[in-house]
Amino acid sequence: MLLRDFVRAVVSVGLLPKALLAQQTANPAPPPPAPVPWTLGLNPKTPLPVTEAADGIAETEASFFTPAQFTTFTRLCDLLLPSLGNKPGALQAGTPTFLDFLIGSSSEARKKVYSDGLDWLDVEAKTRYKLAFAQLNATQADALIKPWLRTWMTDHPPTERHADFINIAHEDIRVATMNSKVWDDASAAAGQDWVTGGLYWSPIEPDMAGPGAASTPLPPHVMVVPKAAHTMPSYPR
Amino acid sequence: MTDTTFDVLIIGSGHSGGMAAKILTEKGIRCLMLNAGPVADVSRDAQRKPAYDLPYRGFKPPGRLEHVFQASEFNANVWVDEEEVPYTFDPVAPYNWVRVRLFGGRSLFWSRQSFRLSDYEFKGKSHDGFGEDWPIILADLAPYYSRVEEIFQVAGAQDGLPQMPNGSFIPVDSVWSESMQRFIKASQSYNMAVCEQRRAQGRDGLASSVNLLLPDAERTGKLTSIANAVVRQITVDANTGQPNGCHFVDRLSRREMHVKARVVVLAAGTLESTRLLMNSNLGNSSGIMGHFLMDQIYGPGVTCSVPEARNGKATEQLMGGSAIVPRFRNITTKYPKFLRGYALNVTSRMGGVDPRNFAAYGAELRQKLHEYNGSAFYITVMGEVLGRYENHVRINKEKVDAWDIPVLHVETRYTDNEFNMAKDAVEVGCAVADAAGFEVLSKNAVPNPPGYSIHEVGTCRMGDDPKKSVLNKWCQSHDHKNLFVVDGASFVSAGWQNPTMTILALSMRASEYLVGEMSRQNV
Repeated sequence: MLLRDFVRAVVSVGLLPKALLAQQTANPAPPPPAPVPWTLGLNPKTPLPVTEAADGIAETEASFFTPAQFTTFTRLCDLLLPSLGNKPGALQAGTPTFLDFLIGSSSEARKKVYSDGLDWLDVEAKTRYKLAFAQLNATQADALIKPWLRTWMTDHPPTERHADFINIAHEDIRVATMNSKVWDDASAAAGQDWVTGGLYWSPIEPDMAGPGAASTPLPPHVMVVPKAAHTMPSYPR
Repeated sequence: MTDTTFDVLIIGSGHSGGMAAKILTEKGIRCLMLNAGPVADVSRDAQRKPAYDLPYRGFKPPGRLEHVFQASEFNANVWVDEEEVPYTFDPVAPYNWVRVRLFGGRSLFWSRQSFRLSDYEFKGKSHDGFGEDWPIILADLAPYYSRVEEIFQVAGAQDGLPQMPNGSFIPVDSVWSESMQRFIKASQSYNMAVCEQRRAQGRDGLASSVNLLLPDAERTGKLTSIANAVVRQITVDANTGQPNGCHFVDRLSRREMHVKARVVVLAAGTLESTRLLMNSNLGNSSGIMGHFLMDQIYGPGVTCSVPEARNGKATEQLMGGSAIVPRFRNITTKYPKFLRGYALNVTSRMGGVDPRNFAAYGAELRQKLHEYNGSAFYITVMGEVLGRYENHVRINKEKVDAWDIPVLHVETRYTDNEFNMAKDAVEVGCAVADAAGFEVLSKNAVPNPPGYSIHEVGTCRMGDDPKKSVLNKWCQSHDHKNLFVVDGASFVSAGWQNPTMTILALSMRASEYLVGEMSRQNV
């Protein structure tokens, strides 16, 4: 044994009774009950797990459009917004399946615009070219699409039959594609900041007992609004 | 159990309620403010997110907020949910009731355009024979406008036009860009005045009740505020028949509560105040409560391109800036196609042009967007909607909201006067754009549904005759001297102007009158 180990051992023996005595008299905290309260230890320094949007990672199946409609729509997406330059097209952005989901969740009127429009497009292709729309070449498809394109202002899409579908679908396809992760990634790769973002407002003290929650009667989430922690603004008058 | 009786109960916390709270508490009056929704804390409730991180990629969530055209997935949670607080209308005559119940109400989200009404509005009937004159004139309200403009830091120029009165503005000294100068020159044949915009700058980037009015009231120690208090009914004293407080329900717990006050000030927003009065069976001896609902036509406009700014040639000398063209029809001459008039908002912008302005797709569209980038010139319309008896709201006794409160039925339509006005505005916009050498890319002459402008006014109009009006010129009920309505419900005509400055000035004026009446023990 080295000399310093020997000295450490002697000192430890000398301190041991005092330490034991301290434990007996200090009324130590009881062990935490099991399970530990789940919020114990959560604080502003707690690391947040990093998650990704499922969109762009997971795959989904079309469930609203019929197989024939979905095939037509996929071709329409590729025609209206193909991959150009360093930007992905509608197909790379998963726009057909996303819009199948969105339109399938929308009002009957919007569903009808799409269903009728896709059926019409396919019938037109078969009438004029004896081919399904999805099988048309770009020139043939252009002859069906172009006559129905209109210019229009916000909230006032064309109401004329067929023009309504072509122009509304065109805008939806563009928005869905340009708001996708792959578009954002392409923008970032080109040195642009993400362009699809905005200030997102979470539900503010949601009323969970309100309409829509009737089937899951949860107790209301009551949050006392704290007095503002910041100093009240004072402006010269 | 509390037995507190407040001096004044203020229902609503937006611009009008905030102003009432500020004026009253600064005079030592103890106020209770009830607001139907929670406090919005941007640091707690909002964060920047990419659209792809949202369930609907930024699209408005399906089935929600069908009548809030302004909604997107980013802001969907700030508007009143149409399922939670529904309203009804004939499907052939839709109404867009755009509501915010957060503390501060719609004062949190507004365009900041800040105008005074003129005597062309206050004395509209005297000018053209339609409707009724207000019981006040510009001179009555001008001192209050000045104080409001100072509080809200309104920037603008003293253009000296009778239809757009001068005010107490922060001077602006911007220089018109060349595209704006061309528009100004081209507009001269229409006798249009192209003026600097008038905009509330607010403080610290916000011009709201929550930062410009409520802090002053809170500092007095005389204001008590309760959030999530959905008012069910104004109560009346069994002996006097006068309002003495209200029943409200806690939005989250559904707990029913009651508060007492000597005076009730309604500031819940035009239609909510009227709905509450109707559900309380108060103040309608005239029988015209709910009638004369008005707003402004929005939606018509023209989108143009300045050819010289295309293909990367846009410069700050050529492009940029915005202007207001105040009403120019029916000012010095009578225009045969419609009564009253409209204003134009004009904007020259160097940013991108929206794809819907081109009948193209794919590579061709991309080329167009590249070519036209930086060359956009916008003309949008806001036109006066006439006050008509048949345009009204009433209680729908067969439908209730989430708290079992009967909802409002809205019955209003635009008439040929509004449609002709929209058509004229677009024709004029196109003609001026053409004369200026701009290319018209798209245009629309169809107004959005009534309500879209979020400028709903009327339904409890003021007047000197109790048989033809709900309120007197002090926004005080003809029927109940301790009942005031200080929001836009008191308007007699809508004008073309954003109503916010007028609502604030009326609330300030009514509140100071109330202070005097209380001190004289008349209320």
